Amino acid sequence: MSRKKQQEAVDSSILGLLLRRFTWRHWKKHWRSTLMLIAILALGVGTFLSIRLANRAAASGFDLFAESVTGESDFVIRPRSGNRLPVSLLREVRRDLGELPVAIFPLIEVTVSEGGEGDDFGEAAAWQVIGADLIALRNAVTLGAGNSPTGSGSSEDDEFELSLGSERQGFFSARLRNEGYSLGDPVKLAIGDRISSVEIADWLEDDPLRPAVPRNLILMDLPGAQRLLGWEGEISRIELVVPEGEGASGFCSALRERLEAASRESNWAIEGDQERERSVGEMTRAFRMNLTILSTLALLVGTYLILQSLEAAVVRRRGEIAVLRSLGVDRKTIRLLWLSESLVIGAIGSGLGILLGWGIAQGTVGAIARTVNGLYYSTTTEAAALHGGEALAAFLFGVIASVVAGWLPAREASETPPAQVLRSGSRGPGVQWLKRPALGWLAILLALGAGFLPPFTTEGKTQVPIGGYLAALGWLLGLSILVGVLFLPFGRLLRAWFGGRTEASYAASQFRRPLGRHRLAVAGLVAAIGMAAGMGVLVHSFEKTLTQWIGQLLRADLYVAAAGATQAGSASVLAPATWRSLSEDPAVEGVDVIRRYPVQFEGRQIRLAGADYFRGPDRGLALRWIQEPRDPDPRGLGKVRAGGMVPGWVNEAFSRRFQVDRGDSIRVPSPQGLQSIVIEGVYADYSDEAGTVLLSREFTSAWFGDETVSNVAIYLRSADQLDPVEARWEKQFPGILVRQNSRLRAEALRVFHQTFAVTYALEAIGVFVAVAGLGLAMASLTMERRGELATLTSLGFTRRQVARASAIEGAALGSIGFLGGAVLSVILGAILIFVINRQSFGWTLDFRVPWTLILALGLLTVGTSALVSGLVGHRGARLRGEQEE
Amino acid sequence: MTLFSSFPLLRFLGIWLLSGPAWGGEILRTEEGYRIPGPDFSVSSPSVHGSHPEYRIEWWYLTGHLFAKEESKRRFGIQATFFRFAQRPPVSGEKTRDGEESGFGDGQFYLAHMGLTDVEGGEFFHEERLNREGWDAGAKVGDLDVHNGNWFLRRESGFETIESSEGVLALSGSILSDAGFDLRLELAKAAVRFGEGGLSRKSSEESAVSYYVTFPRLLVGGEVRLGAQVIPVTGEMWMDHEISSSQLGGNQVGWDWASIQFSDGRELMAYVLRKPDGSVDSHSSLTWIDEEGNLSAHRSEEFEWHAEGAWSSPETGDVYPIRPRIVTTDPRSGEIRRLRLRPVLEKQEISGSLGGVAYWEGACDVVDEDLGQVVGRGYLELTGYSRDDDLKTRLRGQ
Repeated sequence: MSRKKQQEAVDSSILGLLLRRFTWRHWKKHWRSTLMLIAILALGVGTFLSIRLANRAAASGFDLFAESVTGESDFVIRPRSGNRLPVSLLREVRRDLGELPVAIFPLIEVTVSEGGEGDDFGEAAAWQVIGADLIALRNAVTLGAGNSPTGSGSSEDDEFELSLGSERQGFFSARLRNEGYSLGDPVKLAIGDRISSVEIADWLEDDPLRPAVPRNLILMDLPGAQRLLGWEGEISRIELVVPEGEGASGFCSALRERLEAASRESNWAIEGDQERERSVGEMTRAFRMNLTILSTLALLVGTYLILQSLEAAVVRRRGEIAVLRSLGVDRKTIRLLWLSESLVIGAIGSGLGILLGWGIAQGTVGAIARTVNGLYYSTTTEAAALHGGEALAAFLFGVIASVVAGWLPAREASETPPAQVLRSGSRGPGVQWLKRPALGWLAILLALGAGFLPPFTTEGKTQVPIGGYLAALGWLLGLSILVGVLFLPFGRLLRAWFGGRTEASYAASQFRRPLGRHRLAVAGLVAAIGMAAGMGVLVHSFEKTLTQWIGQLLRADLYVAAAGATQAGSASVLAPATWRSLSEDPAVEGVDVIRRYPVQFEGRQIRLAGADYFRGPDRGLALRWIQEPRDPDPRGLGKVRAGGMVPGWVNEAFSRRFQVDRGDSIRVPSPQGLQSIVIEGVYADYSDEAGTVLLSREFTSAWFGDETVSNVAIYLRSADQLDPVEARWEKQFPGILVRQNSRLRAEALRVFHQTFAVTYALEAIGVFVAVAGLGLAMASLTMERRGELATLTSLGFTRRQVARASAIEGAALGSIGFLGGAVLSVILGAILIFVINRQSFGWTLDFRVPWTLILALGLLTVGTSALVSGLVGHRGARLRGEQEE
Repeated sequence: MTLFSSFPLLRFLGIWLLSGPAWGGEILRTEEGYRIPGPDFSVSSPSVHGSHPEYRIEWWYLTGHLFAKEESKRRFGIQATFFRFAQRPPVSGEKTRDGEESGFGDGQFYLAHMGLTDVEGGEFFHEERLNREGWDAGAKVGDLDVHNGNWFLRRESGFETIESSEGVLALSGSILSDAGFDLRLELAKAAVRFGEGGLSRKSSEESAVSYYVTFPRLLVGGEVRLGAQVIPVTGEMWMDHEISSSQLGGNQVGWDWASIQFSDGRELMAYVLRKPDGSVDSHSSLTWIDEEGNLSAHRSEEFEWHAEGAWSSPETGDVYPIRPRIVTTDPRSGEIRRLRLRPVLEKQEISGSLGGVAYWEGACDVVDEDLGQVVGRGYLELTGYSRDDDLKTRLRGQ
């Protein structure tokens, strides 16, 4: 054995011995602080993971079961404008594909509301009707593409035939059995402005080989679904499956090539996997970004906490390290020892954090799913599964953070001469970098620069406000460092305030030479409060802007929509006869009608809206202009401009997303071909982030050959008529929803708050974690000062006085953290509103600071800090000088 | 005689019932109202080759042997079958088919099977497909034009009369993304009709009869695709077109069928209907076809079919007698011929993922055991051997 190897063997046996004697014994003896450390790690990792998991679960609900009806389709054909394709396209596609072995699956997918249920937006139970060719679907099994939901065609499936072609029968999730449903039960559905019912013909059982059958799915034979929904001769999309085999990739490219060529001048487009992911992801982009910000908050606060806890642990044991050094243990072994300890703590804490995160996610996902249902489209998420990748990321985050946090102070301790460490007792300098204001200034300087960076635009025209995120990070770091300058003045303030009372003087003395621990605890608070209150600024500004906008926008007395329209993404519309008879009612002075169509523009989904606006003497549409048109009267939109251009207004999201302004012209697809539109104005619109082009309905109804409308706003001759008219119409037209102005406003705000429900909960977690961190810091400070405290008590200090001194110190730390956090929140709020929000959503918001909220947060933080620190001090006062815990 | 292959599916689709005949004026009908093939059957060409929706079941069944044009003479066996099953008798006088307008009919279902045997590669590719009448599957009335997805068989030219020996068909098929073929089939011989006046009786039951027309030899040119490889081929195929509403007796458990194309220009078609006790039903038959298309029919007692050469499928575990010996009298020489069918590949089983029941359908060489030499090529079909499925039960609709 070489000398080097011998040495290594000795080293490793020493390390093993030390781990047993030094680390393990310490953990056993100080099991409470060890548990605390692990718990904090677990909380940090858990919070981070829970947000990621809940986010993923909500997002995965979007990989709708429907997508897997045919197994994994390779391509999907969707309409470029509108939401329907003619059945005749199927034959054309087959002809275009020629000899290529491609299975073609037409599908209808429509979300409808349960009839006769709650009529608030997103409140009525949503049913997702999927019409598929139940015969052809069985071929999916033979293609190696997956597993069709109606089984593989075994002879037991005799019921299968029952619903063939029937508009009265469907397959439902077997899970409904547990909810008291039985075979043959009718389910009432609000379809457009009619109420129909579909009978449960048979159950769809879950199968481990395919995505779970959503609870709210109704699978019907395609022609039956067409009749039920009034979609005769039409389908929603076409899924294409290239069967498995050696030639598959070649056939895929040939397919794409042929269909792209065929679709060039048509009203349909073909999407591969990538395009599909993009379009699904796009709908919830803003929402997911909101969650990303939140999980970053948890991450940052978590990092602070971990750093803080391990730093405290290392510093507390500097004495032990010094003893080991004087016994001849070399630096490398000490560092290794510490690294191993951090690693083990990190691994255990992170492991528990994964469980915790998974647990929290179960609660959070419901809230997220409800939001998504209300705002975007029906998702079927019910549980957040533990995702391997996310769990691993969270685990690594926890372990790396704890190793780094343990490594830095351990290195410092191992390099300090033992005598010096022993001489200074257990008090150590702690984290050094927080003491360097220059670093703080540098971070802020960089943040100032980053705030002006333009957004990074992805290939799919999604704008990522990287500069905004960097600026937020810079400010956060900078202010957490710079907040240290407040320690000295605070010390003075304390003395002045309490008139030299002993407890106050003792507390104030701690700020004369603040330890790294003080700084860390405060930095953690600054980060947590800053980000929580910063989100508060965004939400508050958003709410104020929205309320004002809704007030401007909603000027009619009654609003009417099809009963099925209470689900986002619903295609329910009002039949021409229905809305015309409403508008011709003698009580009605005038109406606004609007019809929205989903349309593909530059490869992205936008909305094309056709509207007829009423213009009364003092009422009618009043848009909030970003770029005001020369003629803001919507009736002027009916006249074709020079060169055959159709005039239109676009919303802000459209203008930012596609970089178009007033005076520009665009070409938008319609069933009648591409239409040239000149943009004459840009208006604010907080209901849409995809982009809307608003035209006179005269044009859209001609292009789409369609007289249905999505909504009608009713202006009554007399306000007295409000209740009677509402009651009369609801009776006369059971399939429509009539809402009074005040109720619609309330509903809009309810949906808004629902969106941010998750935000509020997570902010609370962030602040709680930060205050817990402060408590931990105070506990370890008290522990370090046990000698001092023993001296004080022997000098006549009572336990209560020690507790009071500790509470004052805690309150002061809380106040410093809060002050820094408050300043940070205003700055972060501004960055969120003016940079991040504008770049990624395309919405201009008014900047409003929620002072009450911030103040309440301050009181809560200072109060809790004082309370926690007081309790810690009260307990600490019992400690004798030689006692450690 | 490829009917059994579809039984499980027929059962699963709930359409297979044995039914007695009922008289509806001059025309014989089943109880449900489907027509039963009788002397009144119209045989005007080319409409006879098209679809007959007033009958319950119909199929166009092609088998053959293809050879690469290049020197390698790479050899392939091919099977392409298009089935039509009516779900209800058409309303009298109804010309349009319900799937035509909506694209999604429920009056007719179309099943199809494709198989390709790559002899040198030792691979057997196959795929099944089921579609309702409509935008993606159908069979034309009045002319031969059937399609199912990207698979099709249609008349390109000729077939002016039923006796016509001139005509060209186009056949295109694929098997998953592994293989495919585009072929031009030219009549080498006029159509023949089996049974009395083209009516082939399968049982003593009144309705168990089919109208059975066959093109015993078609000259083939075109290409076979294997992965990215395109191989120009030539060869010969056999095509059956059979129309019925109920053609089987209840006491039959399975069916062994073979078609042989001899090198001397003659053909032979034989089938034995098996009874539960293993004996052969008296409606089994064997027919020789000479170069001019003249038929020489032999009843069940006039030939022997020895089910030999058991092969056990590794996929389904079913055991098939894939090397049968047929003993028959050659009508030309009057001598006894002992013909052994020798499969070009053992694994030519259609595992029945859609229908749920497997059968064996494969290309064979035909060896005259007395001469000790290959005298022709054949196709063999063996049904009712599935352990998991009692074909008889399915057959009887129980």
